[in-house]
Amino acid sequence: MSDPDAIDCHAAADQLYEYLDGELSPTVESQIRAHLADCAPCFGLFDFEETYLRFLEARTRAQGAPAHLRRRILDELFQHPEQPPRS
Amino acid sequence: MSQPPSPDREGFEREALVHLDAVYRTALRLSGSPMEAEDLAQETMFKAFRGWHQYEAGTNAKAWLLTILRNTFINRYRRTKQRPEMVDITEIEPYTVFHDVQDANPAQTFFDRLVDDEVLRAIDALPEDFREVLVLSDVEGLTYAEIAASIEAPVGTVKSRLFRARQLLQRELYDYAVEAGYIEQRRDRP
Repeated sequence: MSDPDAIDCHAAADQLYEYLDGELSPTVESQIRAHLADCAPCFGLFDFEETYLRFLEARTRAQGAPAHLRRRILDELFQHPEQPPRS
Repeated sequence: MSQPPSPDREGFEREALVHLDAVYRTALRLSGSPMEAEDLAQETMFKAFRGWHQYEAGTNAKAWLLTILRNTFINRYRRTKQRPEMVDITEIEPYTVFHDVQDANPAQTFFDRLVDDEVLRAIDALPEDFREVLVLSDVEGLTYAEIAASIEAPVGTVKSRLFRARQLLQRELYDYAVEAGYIEQRRDRP
């Protein structure tokens, strides 16, 4: 290989999630980006795993706290007898 | 410098209570019980209110609150029972299902077929150490450094747990999707 900075499939796969999580240095990130541009199998794998992470986020964030919990916390903190709510 | 006063209602709502959904969700994943989760979320918010002067302005308030939640959860459960199962992570084989999915369903991945409840159930079935990092990262979006600070472990530990948690969950979801008939199993697998 002519490019001394080029990385192979193994090195790319090792840093799969760090790459997708944006946890790599700009230098390593661009090495991986260059590898993905040249390597269809790795590109497919990274693309699949990125879809997976987006899917996890989408399927797990709909659930929120019940409305009565928010009210109860605010009441306890700001409407105690010794701490009357401001009118 | 004198200690800043407790936050006013508006400030607390804007800075902390805005993360109540995240705190409640995470409490639910940690405890597995809606009642317990409400209790934990409420206690977390009270502690955050009392300890507001310890919050470093400009840092991630969500990460700070989730750390308080985790400590609250651990303190509560260490009192009543032993910490749940510890898993030897070297026994878990990291294994992407990418290749299986390609062969079985070139046009569509199983992701499209699974609904929220199925995914949440699979997350809840993960060993606690894995569930914790996966929820903090993939549900709540904390960075590796924030998670490391929160669980008091080195960043390298966060990385390896997260890697295995994601692959383990992926494998579970894939097997579930095959079993439920959502996708076809690859032919050369038993």
